[in-house]
Amino acid sequence: MIKDINFYLAGYALKSLLRDKSKNIFIFIVFSLLVALLASTFFLSASMRAEYHQLIKNYPDIVLTNQRAMQDIPYNTDVVNRVLNLSGVSSTVGRVYGKYAFSQAETVFTLLGIDAFENYANPLLNKLNKKYSLDDNAMLVSSSVATILKQNYYKEYFNFIKEDGSRQKVQIADTFYTPKSSADANLIVMPNELVRKIFGFKKSEFTDIAIMVQNREEIGFIAGKLQEEFPNAKITLKEDLLREYENIYNFRSGFFLTVFVIAFFTFFIIIYDKLSGPNSAQKREIGILKAIGWRVEDILKAKLYEGILISLSAYIFGIILALIYVYIFKAPYLKAIFLNNYTLLSDYRLVFHIDIQTVVLLFFVSVPLYIAATIIPSWRVATLDADEVMR
Amino acid sequence: MITLKNVVKQYGNSLALDSVSLKLEEGELVVLKGVSGSGKSTILSLIAGLLKPTSGEVVVDGKKISKLPDHFAALYRRDNIGFIFQKYNLIADLSVKENVLLPLVPMNLPREELESLLEKTLSSLNIKAKEKSLVKNLSGGEQQRVAIARALVNNPKIIIADEPTANLDEKLSLEFIEMLRAMKSKNRTIIVATHDPLFFNLDFVDRVIEVQKAKILSCL
Ligand SMILES: Nc1ncnc2c1ncn2[C@@H]1O[C@H](COP(=O)(O)OP(=O)(O)O)[C@@H](O)[C@H]1O
Ligand SMILES: [Mg+2]
Repeated sequence: MIKDINFYLAGYALKSLLRDKSKNIFIFIVFSLLVALLASTFFLSASMRAEYHQLIKNYPDIVLTNQRAMQDIPYNTDVVNRVLNLSGVSSTVGRVYGKYAFSQAETVFTLLGIDAFENYANPLLNKLNKKYSLDDNAMLVSSSVATILKQNYYKEYFNFIKEDGSRQKVQIADTFYTPKSSADANLIVMPNELVRKIFGFKKSEFTDIAIMVQNREEIGFIAGKLQEEFPNAKITLKEDLLREYENIYNFRSGFFLTVFVIAFFTFFIIIYDKLSGPNSAQKREIGILKAIGWRVEDILKAKLYEGILISLSAYIFGIILALIYVYIFKAPYLKAIFLNNYTLLSDYRLVFHIDIQTVVLLFFVSVPLYIAATIIPSWRVATLDADEVMR
Repeated sequence: MITLKNVVKQYGNSLALDSVSLKLEEGELVVLKGVSGSGKSTILSLIAGLLKPTSGEVVVDGKKISKLPDHFAALYRRDNIGFIFQKYNLIADLSVKENVLLPLVPMNLPREELESLLEKTLSSLNIKAKEKSLVKNLSGGEQQRVAIARALVNNPKIIIADEPTANLDEKLSLEFIEMLRAMKSKNRTIIVATHDPLFFNLDFVDRVIEVQKAKILSCL
């Protein structure tokens, strides 16, 4: 293979590229940036998909909500235990949360209770739970909640108005970041007990019950049994819970942006090169080469080397840029586009997950296309009569 | 060695060569003379296989050049023809060395062989010192030498020169004639197309052939 490479020809090709330096540098930059953009998109979506699979592993298979007159009401601990005793159920967690209206600012906060022993479906909660140990009278607020509170002169604590009209003072222990547009923007996290106090739940009450089953195949069956056992309950299955996520992941993560970028990429590079083709000096050079004994295939080989040198190096450079951007710098901006509407994850872990298939695909939609666009116009010139240069 | 038989060349409706027949022996130096537009360059292109005749044939060393497909015509040029163009046709942004080696590039020869061919050619033309200079920075006379070096580097049996002194002053023209004499002494077949009178009375020129209005007039 190496022996087949004509290094003189490759040297000539490199010289040709350097002679048209500014244009080729421009192409190189555009080419690598587009590869980088595409590859970043792919890497990011692959990582998020991997993350997503992590996420749904922890998600409850079934959520049971108590209702009266089709309004949600709390459950008692004994129900949690009764559910746990059903065959096929592997674990149950009583969850405590609710909405709190802060009328002064005309907004609604989501109060989420945590408890050190829970295995949270929500990775943000999981993280917070690991990072902070909250005492009975403290809470973590999201950055936008912190802003709202500050605007209303609550810098260190907040007075919740409890169900019975009395006040509950809670210290702000810390702030965590969530984008303004996210569904978690107005999230407040505090111990279960505190949430109960504010909403007037009894000590033994839960907002709903998260259920894990032993065998996923049995979800439908167990759901049926639960409905029999608790005729008032509203039963939500994992797939219903995840539908929202699915939409974000499948729609945002990629398809749109990717297709757009691929189209732009191919369009730009090809049109640019097609339109300019060989200029008159390059045409003359092709004529000279033919006149001094280069075959058409020699000329095309030189062009092939030119195409390979520029597109392959730009491709590799672009992939490296994307790896650095996504996995070292954690994909600023691009991540925001992806997670625009809904994120529980302010700092996504971005597990290193490279989908070789997409890297290969990216190669095949870019490099050969560019090489073809380099060769074809020269081929048209090279097959013309060479005696033009005689004049 | 080189035979043109009833060669007709038409460009569209205009007749560039009207049934030209010509025979050149090996080692012969022939000067094609004639005014501009008479058809000299066309004859050279046909011999070099750069053009195909409209009718008639061109035979070199028993090979029908006029029938060769493009691919083989290029190989034929590579192995047999050294072409010195009127406008030099060098690549201005490449160095002397790179220009001279250009005909050999597709052959992928071993480095030592390439270097020795280069060395020999450059020294014989006295431009070794300028090896690394870019062609665009050379004087007209130096560019002419580079063009000759490029024509000679593949050791061609046939050397073709089209108006080689058209862009040179008298002193450089005389220098070229001396280089031509040296080429002739190596028993190469040489064809020079020119309307420069300097070539018409040279002792080492075998024949001066006049081309006029697409026809060969006289074979002196
Ligand atoms: N590619 C071409 N297309 C049309 N006419 C041409 C072409 N090449 C040469 N000719 C015409 O053929 C004639 C001979 O040209 P040429 O061989 O270049 O003559 P010379 O070299 O003696 O000046 C001229 O009339 C020229 O205009
Ligand atoms: Mg001419």
